Amino acid sequence: MSNASVVRHAFRVGARDYSTIFTWKTWLGAWFVRVLAQVAFFALVGRMLGSAERTQYLLVGNAVLLAGMVGMWAVNMVAWERSTGTLPLLAASPTHPAVVLASRGSYLVADATVSAAGALTVAGLLFGVPLPWARLPLALPVLVLVAGSAFCFATFAGGLLLGFRSAQPIVTNVAVVTLMALCGVDVPVDVYPAPVRWVSSVLPVTHGLRAIRLILGPAPAWEPILVQAAWEALVGAGWLAVCLLSFHAIVRRGRRRGTLDHSS
Amino acid sequence: MGTLAAGFRLQLRFYRSYPDLLVPLLTAPLYGVVFTLVMRDGHRPDLVGSASLAPFYMSLWWFALFSGGWIIQTDRWEGTLEHLVSAPAAFAAVVLGRISATLLPAGFAFTETWVFARYVLDAPVTIRHWTVFLASFTVTLFAMAATALLMAALFVLARNAVTFSNSASFPFYVLGGILVPVAVLPGWLQPFTRPVFLSWSADLLRAAVAPGPVPHPALGLGAIAVLGVAAGLAGGVVLSHILRRLRTRGELAIT
Repeated sequence: MSNASVVRHAFRVGARDYSTIFTWKTWLGAWFVRVLAQVAFFALVGRMLGSAERTQYLLVGNAVLLAGMVGMWAVNMVAWERSTGTLPLLAASPTHPAVVLASRGSYLVADATVSAAGALTVAGLLFGVPLPWARLPLALPVLVLVAGSAFCFATFAGGLLLGFRSAQPIVTNVAVVTLMALCGVDVPVDVYPAPVRWVSSVLPVTHGLRAIRLILGPAPAWEPILVQAAWEALVGAGWLAVCLLSFHAIVRRGRRRGTLDHSS
Repeated sequence: MGTLAAGFRLQLRFYRSYPDLLVPLLTAPLYGVVFTLVMRDGHRPDLVGSASLAPFYMSLWWFALFSGGWIIQTDRWEGTLEHLVSAPAAFAAVVLGRISATLLPAGFAFTETWVFARYVLDAPVTIRHWTVFLASFTVTLFAMAATALLMAALFVLARNAVTFSNSASFPFYVLGGILVPVAVLPGWLQPFTRPVFLSWSADLLRAAVAPGPVPHPALGLGAIAVLGVAAGLAGGVVLSHILRRLRTRGELAIT
């Protein structure tokens, strides 16, 4: 089976997974209300502080964080493959497992992008934030980068946590709040000491959020926007490389010990 | 009483076996850092104290929603509900015992949040009105347990309970006024906040750490108690309806 065919089939499985989680009614009536409330929760702080500028900062930051948050759910994907007994089959197949995992989980990137863009637009209108609406579509590819970068980071974490089922929800939740704290979502990264800023620079969200703030800013200069977007892509690629290496090691160890299909 | 205690001990064993049920105890300090930084960066040191305590309500709600709310449904999924219902011990006592155990991490969440705020974030969280604080804390825990009972019963009936529980965090944080007081919310939203016990409780907690008198403490305490009793009664009614329906229709094993 060609890689294109694997991608197509894995994407269909992912789409079926997604359709068991949400219908369009539950997505709009429950999930979208939740993400909108998350952005509003922080934007209201800006309003409480009496600052339109801070309201916009918090609104944009938390809307973009949604892309990273949904991407982070990929932590559970590797464990799902193991619990359904398909991980050993993936490891034994000639196609690299990463191709299947990325294709099957691509719905997360799509959902992350739509959730973030939707929340940014609706919350922006609700709070009367003067966003440059004509430039908003330019933020979409950057949101895809942020979601993809978080997806790679989360898949790497998911591989490491394969034997620790209870740790997966812990890591997902703690990682999302850590991204919120460190990536310039609610306060500029400059408030932190240098070592924390360095950690922030290799995390998903930080550079993509900077790019989107520049896109939505008063005088966007394209060069810094492209540089920040490229950094976000580079961070994602870095985590993907680490993920592939670690996955290779996990599969090799699982084959040697015969533990690939062991549930934790 | 023995059944209640057995349910209590069972839930504690769950916490030991599945530490992910206690995840809010890890995220609460991080939220505390975020909220405190936002207030300090916004040059509003007067808001740092109340903001640093807001994560307590996030933990409280999480325990009510995910820890208490899923008690019956997980028994149903695991196939243990039939044994529990057919046992001579009262099923409701097991559920109440387990829900009572969720008060322990919820109570610990306050201690953790307060200590972190006071000694790590250096936030002004000295409790100035002890009577109001202790009374509101007690009725808040009662209302949380009653709300957990209601959700535990409703989640068995609701087809989209998973979607609801995954989505019911931030909407209730907004309506509960846990970080931004209800008075600051848009006027059209404020009537929707009053049936949420968190909104009364958060106002009282903020007032308990603030200088000056606490405005209308009896009203706030009464509202939390009434909402708790209402949720508890509704939970009891739904629970007995579920058990009657499950027994008469033989739907216990249907998941």
